[in-house]
Amino acid sequence: MVAALRSIRVRRGLVGLLALLALYGLAAQIASGRLPTRVSLAKHDIEGVELLPTYSSLVEEGVFLVQAGILLEGAAVSTGRVLAGLLLGSVVGIVLGLAMGWAAGLEYALDPWVVLLRFTPALALLPLYVLWFGLGEAAKVGLIATAVAVVTLQGAYQGVRGIPGVYWDAAAALAAPRSLVLRRIVLPSALPQILASLRIAIALGWVTVIAAELIKPSMPSLGYLLALAGAYPRVPTIVIALATIALLVLVSDGLTLAAYRWVTRWMRRRHA
Amino acid sequence: MRSPGRRRVVLGCVSVAVLVCFYTLVSNVGRLVDAELLPEAFARLSRPDLLPPTQDIFKAVVSLVTGELPPMEGHHAHPSGHVSQLVEQHVTLQGALLASVLRVLFGVAVGGPLGILTGFVLGWNRTADDYLHPIYVLLRSIPSLAFITYVMLWLGHGEAHLLIPIVYAVFTTVVIPTYHGVRDLAEVYVRAARSLGAGGRLLFARVILPAASPAVLSALRYSLIIAWMTTVGVEMLMGDDGIGHLLVGGGLWSSRLQIGVDPAVIIVGILALAAAGYAMDAAARIVSDRVTFWARRRRAW
Amino acid sequence: MHKNQPRKVRLQVDDVAYVYEGGTRTHALEGLTLAVHDNEFLAVVGPVGCGKTTFLRIVAGFLTPTRGTVLCDGSPVRAPGAERGYVFQEDAVFPWMSVQDNLEFGLRAKGAAPAERAAVAAELIRLIGLQGYERAYPGELSAGMSKMVEVARVLATDPSILLMDEPFGSLDAQTRGQMQDELHRLWEKRLKTVVLVTHDVDEAICLADRVLVFSPRPGRVKAEVAVPLPRPRPLELRLSPEFSAIKRRIWAELGLAEAS
Repeated sequence: MVAALRSIRVRRGLVGLLALLALYGLAAQIASGRLPTRVSLAKHDIEGVELLPTYSSLVEEGVFLVQAGILLEGAAVSTGRVLAGLLLGSVVGIVLGLAMGWAAGLEYALDPWVVLLRFTPALALLPLYVLWFGLGEAAKVGLIATAVAVVTLQGAYQGVRGIPGVYWDAAAALAAPRSLVLRRIVLPSALPQILASLRIAIALGWVTVIAAELIKPSMPSLGYLLALAGAYPRVPTIVIALATIALLVLVSDGLTLAAYRWVTRWMRRRHA
Repeated sequence: MRSPGRRRVVLGCVSVAVLVCFYTLVSNVGRLVDAELLPEAFARLSRPDLLPPTQDIFKAVVSLVTGELPPMEGHHAHPSGHVSQLVEQHVTLQGALLASVLRVLFGVAVGGPLGILTGFVLGWNRTADDYLHPIYVLLRSIPSLAFITYVMLWLGHGEAHLLIPIVYAVFTTVVIPTYHGVRDLAEVYVRAARSLGAGGRLLFARVILPAASPAVLSALRYSLIIAWMTTVGVEMLMGDDGIGHLLVGGGLWSSRLQIGVDPAVIIVGILALAAAGYAMDAAARIVSDRVTFWARRRRAW
Repeated sequence: MHKNQPRKVRLQVDDVAYVYEGGTRTHALEGLTLAVHDNEFLAVVGPVGCGKTTFLRIVAGFLTPTRGTVLCDGSPVRAPGAERGYVFQEDAVFPWMSVQDNLEFGLRAKGAAPAERAAVAAELIRLIGLQGYERAYPGELSAGMSKMVEVARVLATDPSILLMDEPFGSLDAQTRGQMQDELHRLWEKRLKTVVLVTHDVDEAICLADRVLVFSPRPGRVKAEVAVPLPRPRPLELRLSPEFSAIKRRIWAELGLAEAS
């Protein structure tokens, strides 16, 4: 029954999506003659703005962006930043989180700073990082890394604290050395929480990179493309940029979810 | 979290005190010691415009709170362009904070219920969920701040285009936990209620809503942080007031890229921001704990 | 003991089958036929996976049989309802409501007036011996007390038939013994038709008038063992030779012992 259900659910989901796409197309067609094409921005008015671009103009724009390399290059740069920030931030966050979970003293000492960072939106640090590291990659990657580190630290910490007391006792009763406990008990037990937090961190990383690229745009990047398209304005580009971002977010989230499910299969079987 | 105790408080305070002292030392090195005596990297690091000395931070706080520039005291003491510009625009720390807080509250007040409602519908009605879930997943993959470029074209440069991304961000944060709260947690309770003859409104109001409330409340609490993040972001991009606006030095979008940012202001802004966020989270935690007191009880045996 | 008088049939199950569609199709029940009489205490035992919980869920109305009919008081069972009270294996008391509110819940669903609700709740609290705990929350009660509240909650709506799915399964052995006594005492006072599904044969014999043994999957009634032991049934009864004889018979049907 599960296999059959899954296909009903999938079928309905597809119907829903197609309906949405169809509705949009319809709305765009109806609107194309009727919506105002003049938009006033800050100081001046722009003419010829297509507020709801039809599929034909979207396709046209999309083809242009891809052929000119703008879209792909921008996507590559933004993705690269997210990955770099993710790597850096998660290493720092996980190591610190595990350490803080293990050693109470460390937790008490570092806690005020972790709390401070948790309640500071990463974006607020952007001007500071730009000041310190310049307008290059370092500032943006550092920002993403900071946001990721805070989240993964929390995840790793919860992962360690969530280990049932019996496991610690069992290890002690077997006189297991610390390194063994770390490798064979702590890490596997904390892994689900860590992966769950990684999923949140990736979403956060994307939000941060796009925001950072919007605020301090540098070419090429998706945020820059978006900002430029917004300032110009060229709506088909905006829509395509948004769609590309959504696609990248979905893919990265999907991969992390798959990793999470694969790792936690041993956990789920126990409760079957 | 490990239980609070004296050791925690003491170590925390010590850690803060140590870092503040260390920072004061490092940031003031340029004034205390002759530049030639220092290794070059160190000297570069401790420039007052990169690492603002602690006193400057205090001065910035005073200026921003009182709205007045400090009196001139010789060539060390003139306020930065950032501070001057802010003071000129009559921006105060508390004013900016208030504006941001209001936006955050609006975002949660509007986005929260919308998200809860949607989460309930999707979690409760399997058919609706089948049809609508993929659409939702697609929409929430678009970072909220990215919308602002598009929304601005429809709504112009008013407050709405600042608030919409905040509402949207809160909304997308709240839907999924509510969805899971309804779907996963309430099963045995729903069955029990049904076999007691409950249906419709009674089932919803007295069983499903309370059973899902821990998940919903914790989602709302988390959405506060998201709301803050989005608020700061929109204010940095396009706001006329608020902490984000303060952090980038005020003025319109175009002029922001030109002034030099004063790190003292940033640090002041961040501290104010974190304090406000922490206070709101603490309040949310107290309320949430009170309402869901029953969820954390352990059995007598 | 009760078979001499013709008794009204409360529950009639006819040729019920149930198939779980899934990765693999599982025939949980096949050709299940049984009848439960008024005020009879019926226990159902069987090996793991024999479908006894599935059977109970079908009677309750949570599941629809793939084939066959279930009639409760003559009318077919289509959905869960207050005439068929259900006590769960897991903790099903509502932790966000006080004991009093829990007990009143079923009556609230029926639309009873506050005064009537309070009166019934008060009587039940006395019945289960939890006076003074009206305002307590389930989180403050022990597991056993909480389970009694659940039983009382179901009794509040005066169902025709009480269905219990391994109600004491999650309790420790000692508490379980106490709860079985409590249930027995309650049943004697409030005489109801009960169908109890359990894996604990001792529990079945102690409480029931009749024990049905299910066959392994696909489940059907393999054997019926009457329990003509006199009531009340104190703890010492478990040591008596009559008890052991019945237990041996049931174990033989389950394949755990040789029939003597």
